Amino acid sequence: MEYISIGKDVTRKDAWEKVTGRARYTADISTPDLLHGVLVTSTCAHGNIKSIDYSEAMNMPGVRTILTGDYYPVLTGSVLEDRPPLAAGKVRYYGEPVALVVARGEAQAAAAAAKIKIYYETLLAVNSPAEAMKPDSPLVHERPEQYRKVIPEVYPEAGSNIVHHVKIRKGDMNKGWTDSEVIVEGSYAMPPADHMAMEPRSARAEILPDGQIIIHTSSQGPFAVRKLISQHFGVELGKVAVHVPLVGGAYGGKASLYLEYLAVMASKAVDGQPVLIRNTREQDMAGAPGKLALEAKIKLGAKRDGTLTAGEYSFIVGTGAYADTGPRMTNSMAMNCTGPYQLENVWCDAYCVYTNHTYATSFRGFGHTSMTFAVERTMDKLARALNMDPLELRRKNAITPGATSPTRLKLTASNLGNLPACIDKLRQLIKWDEGQNMAVGNNRIRARGMACFWKTSNSPTDAFASAVVVFNSDGSVNLQVGAVEIGPSTKTTLAQILAERLKLDIDQVHVEMEVDTRHNPHDWKTVASMSTFLVGRAVEKAAEDALLQILRIAAIVLRRSPEDLALDKGRVYVKDNPDFYLLYADVVHGYKYTNGNTVGSQVIGRGSYIMPHLSPMDKETGEGHPGPYMTPGAQAVEIELNTSDYTYRILRAATVLDAGRVINPAAARGLVMGAMGMGLGLGSREAFIYDQNQQLQNTSLRTYKVMRIGEQPAYLVDWVETPNLISPFGARGLAEHGILGIHAALVNALSLAAGVEIDQVPVFPELIWKKIEEQKT
Amino acid sequence: MIPFDFEYYRPESVGEAVQLFEKLDRLGKKPVYYGGGTEIISMGRMNNIATGAVIDIKAIPQCTAMELQDDHLVMGAGVTLTQIHEANYFPLLAQAASRVADHTIQNKITLGGNFCGTIIYREALLPLLLADSEMLIAGPKGEKNLPLDQVFNQWVMLDKGEFIVQVRVLKPYLSLPYRHVKRTKEDKIHYPLLTICAMKVDDQVRTAFSGLCDFPFRSPGMENELNDKTRPVEKRIENALILLPCNLPDNLEGSAAYRKFVLSSLLASILTELEV
Repeated sequence: MEYISIGKDVTRKDAWEKVTGRARYTADISTPDLLHGVLVTSTCAHGNIKSIDYSEAMNMPGVRTILTGDYYPVLTGSVLEDRPPLAAGKVRYYGEPVALVVARGEAQAAAAAAKIKIYYETLLAVNSPAEAMKPDSPLVHERPEQYRKVIPEVYPEAGSNIVHHVKIRKGDMNKGWTDSEVIVEGSYAMPPADHMAMEPRSARAEILPDGQIIIHTSSQGPFAVRKLISQHFGVELGKVAVHVPLVGGAYGGKASLYLEYLAVMASKAVDGQPVLIRNTREQDMAGAPGKLALEAKIKLGAKRDGTLTAGEYSFIVGTGAYADTGPRMTNSMAMNCTGPYQLENVWCDAYCVYTNHTYATSFRGFGHTSMTFAVERTMDKLARALNMDPLELRRKNAITPGATSPTRLKLTASNLGNLPACIDKLRQLIKWDEGQNMAVGNNRIRARGMACFWKTSNSPTDAFASAVVVFNSDGSVNLQVGAVEIGPSTKTTLAQILAERLKLDIDQVHVEMEVDTRHNPHDWKTVASMSTFLVGRAVEKAAEDALLQILRIAAIVLRRSPEDLALDKGRVYVKDNPDFYLLYADVVHGYKYTNGNTVGSQVIGRGSYIMPHLSPMDKETGEGHPGPYMTPGAQAVEIELNTSDYTYRILRAATVLDAGRVINPAAARGLVMGAMGMGLGLGSREAFIYDQNQQLQNTSLRTYKVMRIGEQPAYLVDWVETPNLISPFGARGLAEHGILGIHAALVNALSLAAGVEIDQVPVFPELIWKKIEEQKT
Repeated sequence: MIPFDFEYYRPESVGEAVQLFEKLDRLGKKPVYYGGGTEIISMGRMNNIATGAVIDIKAIPQCTAMELQDDHLVMGAGVTLTQIHEANYFPLLAQAASRVADHTIQNKITLGGNFCGTIIYREALLPLLLADSEMLIAGPKGEKNLPLDQVFNQWVMLDKGEFIVQVRVLKPYLSLPYRHVKRTKEDKIHYPLLTICAMKVDDQVRTAFSGLCDFPFRSPGMENELNDKTRPVEKRIENALILLPCNLPDNLEGSAAYRKFVLSSLLASILTELEV
């Protein structure tokens, strides 16, 4: 079938405003009465607040008010309500907001913020997930079991740092180990890191005289912001309006509320005047939630021929000082713990624990990024133990339709995709068979490593999205959805889906980049690589609804029944006589006869779609149906290691994933490349470094390094297209997936080249040197 | 955003700059001389510097001069690292300058700023330490031309109100065999794990280092050992390392042990390549 828009390289609708610098973000909009809020954050990782002296700051020019935790005591959280927006009595991480200065000008607020003196009684800090699990560990929260649960499926344990515990019990472990002829084990550590979106977080709030709360924010979840602000500030839902313009990158970090609570409190304290809070890069890194930490142990059993027989997985997820989405991400790791491999006997214990680090929230991959590293490093170890090609080992065990997932979900070609085809294509793309470990002279070794991944979302079982399609009199349409444009060209993809279903040119579909919760229909959140599917289905339904209306009006005018009519290229015509037609423009605002009589009225299509058949995981066995479908893929990295000083270059990075159907190839390639770049950053340099007092050391981009243009490898991207039968045109989510296994592929290559097992990231040359020195002794 | 107000001055002569400094100082403005401003801006926004007035030296002709005069190269303190790199009068310096920060920042950072800022690495000084350079200093007591080793010892020693106007290097040094090696923790653009500049003068190697101590340095004692051709290269390096002017640091950039490993390996290749 020949498509108009689907599968074409469509220029994104926001391209021109972005490349010319005209695009406006939350902090770019100013009004004459705007006040500014500047945060004072904790320099202590764990401590009791003894006193806060703001007497001098209060008298500084322009200062309107200064808020501390007692101003509006409230506990927030999307899973467990454990976090005060301003620390109350106690601080639990370096960077935690403690006071908020509201002043006429931002410089005045910052000058006053510098004069606030906070005195702490320092407490012993919890510095890692493993430390948090020790029986004598200091407690980050005294009574985690007493916090209000937002969802029932979260299990904090009294007298411990454990927020959540999830289990997978599948098959017969005794049989699995008995059948094993080779067993390998590995322990892995992945530190916390930052999302590093180009746009630091910002939020503006005002409270109108009649109590309405108007919020502008850089968020992935305007409808979640509306709901939680309504709940925590006791204002009816409809009286809260949330506006989200373009968002300059989010990667999960803007899916939960952070500055929004503070902006509303600030506005409340100054009689509702608008207050803007915008993070500096440094505040965004230390204060706002980041990526989780993971300590993992994996034990795999296999037969001599490589067939996997048993897998035991232990994950300790460090969610930092507050739960946020940590428990959900822990579920995510457990539910897909095996990676995309066929394995009947699975045992997984995943704990989510508090530490005294910046709290964690969703991060590209939603736990899979860290989990996949551990799984894929273990697969390489198994290949070495079996003396098998690591690609062949993965190919042999690649999960196929008919098998079940760790949560016992029956897998089909539609909900699983085709991993073996991805592996085969990758093999060609990276020229795997030329060799994986080659000396190229001059102290240089070239090596190739690979990894596989799979991922589905772990959304609320009732997550839904809606769409409204409003026809203009010229036959073009306005598409209204609640999805936020956070970067991946979501609105353009949705416009393509609509254009295709309405048989219109993409230029005749108009989208608005801003979301306004009073104007746009609902969307769960723009997260989990789900928008093409979830919002896309709503768009399809809205298109169908609109087309029925067009057919109904046209049928009257053309004096045929609707089923005799067909649509194409902005026309509705009689099937047996295509010359007998009407333009959409003739009917979408009603058809006017020559005598003035008019039939029909404006065509407005509506559609809504809810996640099908989802159910939470069982507390004891993990059985459940947490996500709608998988996206699998295979990745490889080629590196060159200098064995004289262990510096290395990343030469090529490749991904082949089962995209179901690629809707916009250029945009999709960009997304997968960007995700690979992000994962290679985590593999090679990005990590938060804490000192012995758990104070964050690399709080700016001077010392927290991200990959620069000149350090990027050549990126290779290709697709397999196995239709996902419940999704528009068969598409699978792919916005996160390029990140998932790429750091594992990098470290597999580095381990091979250096001849040592490297089980942590990021891999600095010094780490390779250290591992080699350790091996010598 | 810089949360405090300050005055900006742009004098057009050395004398005017010095007088301005004295005047602003008397008024309690805590003036600072201003080259590219990268540190003043970045420290200002973090509240790590407090000044009521900055004196930009880039409108002073001597400060932006860069030319060959008679037997030497003259470079104004207000010349940017990008200009030094692009003019390439002194290839070793050009290379060292091109590895400080990133290109956008090199467009701003000046030679004088790299010498006198608070960031300890001062990598543009290393080639000048090897080349018997001179500095022209101006201050309340007038102007003076001093050999670099009288101005620099661990840091640039300036009295209150003084600033560097120019640096001079004798022509023969500009074309001597050299090596420049910078190693970082990982990234191309980062503070040095260590940076080495080496120059071969009269069959002897001279070496200057950054990243090994809290200050850049050249050590005659270490150079003696490195040039001791009676010993094998490994031994020469081992002996030189004993004479390091500080204990190697353990910091975010790397451990002392790893620095020692990298330093030894780099020195070995430099000695081999320069055939000393």
